[in-house]
Amino acid sequence: MSEYLLYPGCVASVRELGYEMAMRAVFKALGASLKERDDFNCCMPACLVHSVDYSKGLALTSRNLAIAEEEDLPLLTLCSSCFGNLSRAKYLLDNNEDLKADVNKSLGKVGRSYSGKAKVQHVVTALYEDYKPEVLMNISVSPLHGLKAAPFYGCHLFLPQRYAKFDDADFPEKLGHLIEMTGAESVDYHEKSSCCIGCGSFFGDVSEEASLKLAELILDDVKKAGADAIVATCPFCMMQLEVGQMKLKEAKGKEYGLPVFHYVDILGLSMGLKPGELGLDLRRIDSSKLLERLGRSN
Amino acid sequence: MVETKKLLGRLLDEKKLSYCQDCGSCTGSCPMAKVLPDKYNPRKLLQRVTQDLPKLLESDELWLCAWCYKCTERCPSGIQPTEIFLLTRNLASKEGHIPRNPKAIMRQIMKSGRSVQVPDDFDDWRGEYGLPPIGVTISQSALDEQRKIFGKANLRRLES
Repeated sequence: MSEYLLYPGCVASVRELGYEMAMRAVFKALGASLKERDDFNCCMPACLVHSVDYSKGLALTSRNLAIAEEEDLPLLTLCSSCFGNLSRAKYLLDNNEDLKADVNKSLGKVGRSYSGKAKVQHVVTALYEDYKPEVLMNISVSPLHGLKAAPFYGCHLFLPQRYAKFDDADFPEKLGHLIEMTGAESVDYHEKSSCCIGCGSFFGDVSEEASLKLAELILDDVKKAGADAIVATCPFCMMQLEVGQMKLKEAKGKEYGLPVFHYVDILGLSMGLKPGELGLDLRRIDSSKLLERLGRSN
Repeated sequence: MVETKKLLGRLLDEKKLSYCQDCGSCTGSCPMAKVLPDKYNPRKLLQRVTQDLPKLLESDELWLCAWCYKCTERCPSGIQPTEIFLLTRNLASKEGHIPRNPKAIMRQIMKSGRSVQVPDDFDDWRGEYGLPPIGVTISQSALDEQRKIFGKANLRRLES
């Protein structure tokens, strides 16, 4: 049984509740124990807060690492951006004594400190590294035969490699491997490790335009590859690809009808959990027809 | 005290920006450049950091990097454009050039501890799905710590 300190993050707990439900249901079924706190702050996206003050921004991110050290538990993040930010802060501080001293000076003002022993995991890295794919295959008692799933890797699980090494930078394959453990088929396609421009969408009209254009490229590619659904690792990517479909329908009349799952959704289904327990009815893109075809109902 | 300029200098110097082979791997890898080829080009942006800094600090283009690190991963000369752009934005921020949208989100973060706003009755809704409450903001003590760490000067930069 593994024990984690849950780092819920902003996007999952506010915008992708269904994913949070699925994640909790799956980790409960795996027998994991999740400790919770009400005093984590936002991971402080580097593209925002660290852009205003590099050192103080890092201190704010590291405040969460300091809490994890106080609890002596690995952080478990739901969001790849949180994972990337926390991993980045850890790498930068562990490899630059001056910066670490500077950040600890800021943390000292609120009675905290960072030593370097904090560990950061993400839902998907924890499943891969702590539970192992072969174990997940064994507990997939109700395999999802007939589901063609397009893995969408996003950026922050393994980019850049110096911060997080979960997978190969150019040819990631671990999510595809994990998907196959559930009995589903992992469909290969060109844009699988594209960025969703989630963070870029913070920046107004120009980046809205960019997000939508990129979503269209990704969705066209998934469709061309013949996938039934997308399987992502990050709630921000999920939101971008869901909202992207809604906007493209409105703007261009394009109807993709591609449910955007998180990996824990399909793992949960393959473990025999019900769609309702996994919050699948809370998603922006309806998956009921696909679930019906796969013989999954509440 | 670790200064932004020193950190930036080190990134620019250590990895020898002059080693840039102008190969365009950064631009070729960039998702933003892929969809906005006329508006964003990290290869050219990197040149402007050393050759056209004062004007660059006033431009919104500096804030378009979506922080995916693909350029950093692929640069054959080991240059780290992503971190260089973040540090350059520090200089822009100190001069008061933070674009409107990022500023609004950062105000939200400093006010609530979260990057997205939580509606007043949100915990009732979470409760209906068996999820624990999260509050409209993170705990008050955590908010106080957050403001203290970020500091008054930085908080003021987000207000104007």
